Amino acid sequence: MKPSTDRAFDFAVRNATYLIFACVLLYFGLQSPGFLMPESLANIVKQASFIGIAALGMTFVLLTRGIDLSVGSVMFLAPLIAGFAMREYGLPVWLGFVVAVLAGVVLGGINALFVAWLRVIPFIVTLASLFLFRGFGTWLTSSTQFDFSEDMRSFGLSSVVGIPTPIVIFAIVALIAHIILAHTTFGRQIYAFGNDPEAARKSGINTQWLQARVYVICSVCAAISGFVLIAQIGRLDVAFGEGREFDVIAAAVLGGASLMGGVGSAFGAVVGATLIQTVKLGLVFTGVNLYLQPIMQGIIIFLAVFADGLREKRLLSRLKRTIRPLENA
Amino acid sequence: MKLLINTATAALLAIAGAGYATSAQAATICFAFQDLETEFWIAGHKAITTTLTEAGHTVIERNANEDANRQLEQVRDCVAQGVDGIIIIPQDGESAVTIVNEAQSADVPIAVFNRPPSDLSKGIIVVADNATIAEQATDFVVGQALESTSGDEKLNALIIVGDLGDPNAVGRKDGFYAAINKHEDRFNVIEVASEWDAATALANLEAAVTANPEIDMMFTSSDFLFPTIRSVLEPRGMWKKAGEEGHIPLAGLDGDATACQLIKDGFVSATGVQDLYFEADSAMTAILKAVEEGNAQPNEVIEDPGFALTSANLADREMDMWGCVLLSEGFLKN
Repeated sequence: MKPSTDRAFDFAVRNATYLIFACVLLYFGLQSPGFLMPESLANIVKQASFIGIAALGMTFVLLTRGIDLSVGSVMFLAPLIAGFAMREYGLPVWLGFVVAVLAGVVLGGINALFVAWLRVIPFIVTLASLFLFRGFGTWLTSSTQFDFSEDMRSFGLSSVVGIPTPIVIFAIVALIAHIILAHTTFGRQIYAFGNDPEAARKSGINTQWLQARVYVICSVCAAISGFVLIAQIGRLDVAFGEGREFDVIAAAVLGGASLMGGVGSAFGAVVGATLIQTVKLGLVFTGVNLYLQPIMQGIIIFLAVFADGLREKRLLSRLKRTIRPLENA
Repeated sequence: MKLLINTATAALLAIAGAGYATSAQAATICFAFQDLETEFWIAGHKAITTTLTEAGHTVIERNANEDANRQLEQVRDCVAQGVDGIIIIPQDGESAVTIVNEAQSADVPIAVFNRPPSDLSKGIIVVADNATIAEQATDFVVGQALESTSGDEKLNALIIVGDLGDPNAVGRKDGFYAAINKHEDRFNVIEVASEWDAATALANLEAAVTANPEIDMMFTSSDFLFPTIRSVLEPRGMWKKAGEEGHIPLAGLDGDATACQLIKDGFVSATGVQDLYFEADSAMTAILKAVEEGNAQPNEVIEDPGFALTSANLADREMDMWGCVLLSEGFLKN
């Protein structure tokens, strides 16, 4: 391959997710120009906030070679607990939000207890908590829907300087996640642990405490995610959040997080969630047949993951070549 | 609230249940349901368990939590326990076929409540005529939409479709199109997938309404999505009562308490009603009859014709709808 072609290919595989994102936007924009209008783009980001906020938390867990299957149940249970507290004690919405976050801390703490201190495999622990949390919520509601007050809906449909509140919350959570991962000691320790847990422990990192915090962060993000979406609808059904853990994991992985740990970023999670939502809403926007929509979604996500795999492979092969110093490097 | 549902259910079923309660011997019935996500399933569950228990039968309940494989295992477990009969609410049409075959092979009579198997030839199948009920409800809002326009311009009709793996969702979609196709040249149809999930419906409906701001009528395949529809329409100034400028004729299907309230308030024009109490009563009567007669493989399709409750017949038929009965007992004041 010629050097210029080689460089172009390198650029393409390194930025595959973003290129696919651009292609998707362009394709749907050409099919229906209204898709690229500000209202439509804002709608994509607003709807991506639900999965995106949870994907940010999931990225923390994936970075440590873990997984959290309970996020869908936390999305359901945390806002439900907040709803009961708001109704019982007449709490305003912002205090309800705090209660939901605290519920996320407690639910994440349960996962953390088993994963970090009792050394149970995260897959098993969070699979158990998936059923435990949902079962508890179903018992609390006796399977009936939970209606929130009008204040809750007003909050969900409100905006800050013209930007819908869900987008604002998504941006704040993404910014905090980025700062933690990229600019703090805790963030560096997460990457170190994900790359080599034993080496991280030997270097003096309190790995148990680190893992515990990661699972708490993940549940808190899921709680915020559920609260933000329920605030838009005003009603919580018992099926809410079911199966969402797969969307959340897909968004994080699509954004570059590795299931093997040590690789991923907050920005990637935002991109992954937004890409998935762009595809979904693009298909609706352009009126694609309902039977074809899941097939198209699957193909585009598969392409993105395939390109990501190609990138990994390419980077590994480049690393092999640099065992000897490259000429003109 | 649970007390209210129980009271309403018990009161409504007292007359229906009395007939066979005295004639049938005490039986052990396995009631395996897929989950209880909506008002319809909750009310159906209550109707069946309360009536059977009050008639002196033993009910073994099994919740599959929307897992078809788990439901199959639960039914096998019920068979192993030696139950006299089985009533199921299956997860989907395909798994229902397997479960019915499993029960009949073990010589245990089985009834399928409301969600039909893809093969209707085996088992007692109690099913609403979803297509006809949806058509009736859609007919009403189609009429309203056509009345509100004077010219011959094409109107936009939006349908929120359920999970396409669910025969009920497909039947409702067919019913919607049957009504629309009577005026084929007058409507563009916009399809929105919900997968029976409020979050999916919210995202997809927002996109559809952004792409097509002029919506002339809307049909949702389930009433449980009305709060979601409101969340999308209200900020755009499209959630209006009948008679107000910008009102969109809305129809649904199920006949739940929320729909009843919204028809009374004028936001919703019609909803297709599944006669829940007829369906529950039919399933119980048929299974107990099979148990009593020692018929291990009863095969029968019992169809619920349903009806459409509209703003026009509300005064006459309100209390025929199970959701209005629950509403009158304070169901929504939770």
